[in-house]
Amino acid sequence: MLLTIDTNDPRPIYTQVADGIKELIARGKLAEGAPLPPVRQVAADLGVNLNTIATAYRTLQDEGLIVIKHGSGAVVASRTTTEHSPDELIRQLRAALTDLVLAGFSTRKILALVARELK
Amino acid sequence: MMDPVRGSLVLYALFWLVRINGCIRRGRQPLLRGREWFFDVHVPPDFYDGAGRRLLHHYWMRMMMPFAVDIPIATWIIMSGRFVWLNGLVAVLGVFIHINHLISVDLAERQARKFALDEPVAAVMLSLTPRRLRQYVNWKLELALIVTTVSALIWGREHWKPLAILLYLHVGLVYVKHLIVAWRRPVPREQAEEHMAVQEAKRKYYLATLDWWRGVLTMQVLVWPAPFVVWFVFAIVATIVVEIKRKQLARLALRARPVIMPDLLDQAKIARWPLCYAPSAPLLMLKGARGYSINLANTCAVIGLAYVAGFMVLGHAL
Repeated sequence: MLLTIDTNDPRPIYTQVADGIKELIARGKLAEGAPLPPVRQVAADLGVNLNTIATAYRTLQDEGLIVIKHGSGAVVASRTTTEHSPDELIRQLRAALTDLVLAGFSTRKILALVARELK
Repeated sequence: MMDPVRGSLVLYALFWLVRINGCIRRGRQPLLRGREWFFDVHVPPDFYDGAGRRLLHHYWMRMMMPFAVDIPIATWIIMSGRFVWLNGLVAVLGVFIHINHLISVDLAERQARKFALDEPVAAVMLSLTPRRLRQYVNWKLELALIVTTVSALIWGREHWKPLAILLYLHVGLVYVKHLIVAWRRPVPREQAEEHMAVQEAKRKYYLATLDWWRGVLTMQVLVWPAPFVVWFVFAIVATIVVEIKRKQLARLALRARPVIMPDLLDQAKIARWPLCYAPSAPLLMLKGARGYSINLANTCAVIGLAYVAGFMVLGHAL
């Protein structure tokens, strides 16, 4: 259960943290009801500002993936996000696939890539 | 039974033997990874022909400081015939040597960083796997400690004052254990497994050391005051065990290449040495330009300071 932060990544750190936790939930490494370390602890461990982690946790809460209980930390609420509708997600997938095709990826390579990411 | 004067002299002589071994070990520490390294700082090949030689000599001189403190005091104790005071001197010097070493290594590394070849790593990883103190508890040992302490409290009520202080120290050591288990550090994405293995080995080493100290305190609670011979045997056994464990740890640490971690907070701007208050940066210690600074906005720092204050109050009251 590892969270990666890359200073070369153009995404801000709070997005990297939120995406990292989201990925752990999607992969089933953080099951429903699993506790997340408190905001203060993650901020202290990673050596980042408290607000960075608080923003990441709020993002996850807004998406319905975690529940923040004041005083007792956060827990994983669900493996299904409530923020995006299926149509919207399909649009995002189509856009990503278009980018891959335009970047010269073959259909076989795209399928292999998707299969690898789903593992 | 060894008489206390002779015992103190033997303990002091043993302390010198251990120190000479420790001095040699600490003296070699900067070059443990070869001439391309100064402690954990990757330096140019000609580093030891110029500035590196000076830094190395300064580090070695700082390692001699405890001798400069020890020799005049020990001479005065021996000349004045207060041989039993040597035990206190050994205890104080033991702490002083470790603190002096930690500060010296930190200072030497900071001075060498100007010549470092490596840049801070870009990608770091943090384990989110929960860790609990109970995962690292030796239940047989804990049971023995509890039974011993409770028995001593029932049958040794006439010595309640030292027992109260020993129990307070016991609680403090358990809290430090909790901190060690809870403390996480990110590792570089490259060689993440090796770095995590070193972290885990260090964690177990420090926890085992603390358990040794808790064992000593419990022994003191049981037999107050513990006869000198008990301390003597313990000192020898502890020295051998610690030395073996330390060598194992050093070998393991060499497998993970040291890296400079990225400073995501610009800590040098926040941290004012030696104390600071930075609620937005909840780290226990922040690395400032002059060294580590204790962050008073961190709960553990506040509990630690309250504990020390409580110890002083308890000592004064008893």
